[in-house]
Amino acid sequence: MRLILLGLLIISGTLSAQVPASLVEERSAFAAWLTTAPNSPLIARAFAPIGDGIHIGPDEANVPFPGVDARIREEHGVISLSGSLGARTLPRNRLVTSGPLALFISGTPGHSVVTVYGGPRLEKVPTYFPLDRSLVFTGPMLPVSPRTIRILTIDGLETDATEVGSVAVPDGASSIRLRVYRIVDPGSEEAELTIYFRDGTSGKGSYPAGRFVTLEPVSNGNYRLDMNRARNPFCAYSSAYPCPAPWSGNTLTTRIEAGERYDHEPSSPQKQSRP
Amino acid sequence: MTRTLLRHMSLLALGWIPVSTLSAQVNSPAMVTYRAVVDLAGGPLRFSMSLGADSSRLCNGSHCDRLPAPMVSGDSIHINIPDYAATISAVQRHDSLIGAYHNVGNRGPRVIPFRASRGTWPVEPAPSGLIGRWNATYTQDEKTSRRVLEFRNAPAGLEGTVISNTGDYGLFWGRAEADSFSMGHFDGSFVYMLTGRLDGDTLRGIFHAGIRTQTPWAAVRAGSEPWLKQPTELTSADTSEVFHFSFPDPEGKTWTEKDPRFRNKVVLVDIFGTWCPTCHDAAPVLTRLYDRYHSRGLEIVGLAYEVSGDPAIDGKQVQLYRAKFGIQFPLLIAGINDTEAAAATLPQLQGFVSFPTSIFLGRDGKIRLVHAGFYGPSMGAAHQQLIAEFEKTIETLLAH
Repeated sequence: MRLILLGLLIISGTLSAQVPASLVEERSAFAAWLTTAPNSPLIARAFAPIGDGIHIGPDEANVPFPGVDARIREEHGVISLSGSLGARTLPRNRLVTSGPLALFISGTPGHSVVTVYGGPRLEKVPTYFPLDRSLVFTGPMLPVSPRTIRILTIDGLETDATEVGSVAVPDGASSIRLRVYRIVDPGSEEAELTIYFRDGTSGKGSYPAGRFVTLEPVSNGNYRLDMNRARNPFCAYSSAYPCPAPWSGNTLTTRIEAGERYDHEPSSPQKQSRP
Repeated sequence: MTRTLLRHMSLLALGWIPVSTLSAQVNSPAMVTYRAVVDLAGGPLRFSMSLGADSSRLCNGSHCDRLPAPMVSGDSIHINIPDYAATISAVQRHDSLIGAYHNVGNRGPRVIPFRASRGTWPVEPAPSGLIGRWNATYTQDEKTSRRVLEFRNAPAGLEGTVISNTGDYGLFWGRAEADSFSMGHFDGSFVYMLTGRLDGDTLRGIFHAGIRTQTPWAAVRAGSEPWLKQPTELTSADTSEVFHFSFPDPEGKTWTEKDPRFRNKVVLVDIFGTWCPTCHDAAPVLTRLYDRYHSRGLEIVGLAYEVSGDPAIDGKQVQLYRAKFGIQFPLLIAGINDTEAAAATLPQLQGFVSFPTSIFLGRDGKIRLVHAGFYGPSMGAAHQQLIAEFEKTIETLLAH
């Protein structure tokens, strides 16, 4: 363990309150995405398994949305939309806009899920702890025999993920080994090495269920773990999303005062008033 | 109104001006060429950009895609990549541009750092030990998959491609130094880079996808045995019945296999999408085949599987595609580009896996051959061989 810890260099550098330009740009692009994207969690209305069919419509519908009367069904793995938004087939893993709504189908045939976006946008702005360069770690990943499990991603989608190893990080006077999962983005060859962790700030300054952070490969088989890039799951923005359960063992006892903060209760998707 | 037009309008509202309107600032219509990179975790992916008053170009070696003219505001420059709803935004500093490539992701914006400086990349040919075809094994989490890697020296330097069971990944371009090489493919949507080193008789390296995904691979020289599945092995078909289809064209007319146009003809059914770069590679080949064999009894019909599912939006995309390639045969809007949804509209095919897929019908309307995927011009000899095979199939079917 000591050798592993020695291998994990803590980049102390010169401490500075200045946030690096790339992190500023990353945060500013995310804030812009939240306020403009048609699939922003700030306008997520519902996240619903399609099962025997979904009705989007008046108050008694599965997904209440005034002025809309539409149904989504699955047959032989093909998802179709009918009703007031028109008749069409809906592709998987690709956002489709239709009238006042945007729809995103995920999951696999027989286990399809629709995320419905539209209506008023919640007024939330992500906030962050000050930059802490001592919480940027570089070191090796200790591989494990790969094991596939079902997990929820940052946006609540259930997917296969492969446990590929762990990284050791300091935790007070001791250290902790954080599990790393490879999560593949459906429909592309791109994947992220992801850590979902809790720490001393969970529920006390950061989101109670935990935060996601990605592990970036650097040179010589090492990886960089920058806790300043920790992000809340989308359930922190809207209770429309299911919230990933914490990954066992990934709980630090110390406070990781870096990355995204959480100061409020998650908001319910705003009730639509009739026009 | 298209998304691109909306974006242009919003940029104009923010003070962005198309370069083409700045006649006082742009004195020459000549293109200015930049050595550009997007910075991936595993190193820089090199490509070239040329910016002019009327248009821009994004080039991987000898292959260039035309883009709209850049928009400028003060020292900022904004390059739209409309096919993929993506942009490059940068600030000009002397002869350099520094900024980022963006497109809309599902879990937040997809942003990759971009930088460029005026000039052209040097031509850096590869050693002869690298040139040729290699059988590669990708390994990730103890799972393996096969690819073929191809390297050649071209006037622009090292070029090549990566081939999977369903086709190639487009033209890769790059450089070699001693026993190491790095070559990339950036088209505004796909971000791929292949790096490696010759280690005795074995090539070893990393395949990079997007900013962070890295897959290790090892390769040995290709032998005479095929390493990948043959394109005709991937999709099987019901050959006992006439191939049925019934879909509208962009103007709303519904076409079926019973139309007099197809009666007693050899028909090539092209399953494609306007969003699919490999289909863009295949389209000129199909138009040449049509010109050559139409008078002898060949018909072609394109079945488009599009992005939105909205006939109005998809119809416009298909019309643009038809005009771009000067296509004279019918293009029909068959559905959306979801593998299950596409397969559901083609119940006579089993194992439908690839855009494009070419289905050859005999004069009796029954399926004779299904060819999944397409080898584009970046495949060099394999591209020519595929055309020769298509011609041979058509000649054989026309003779019966």
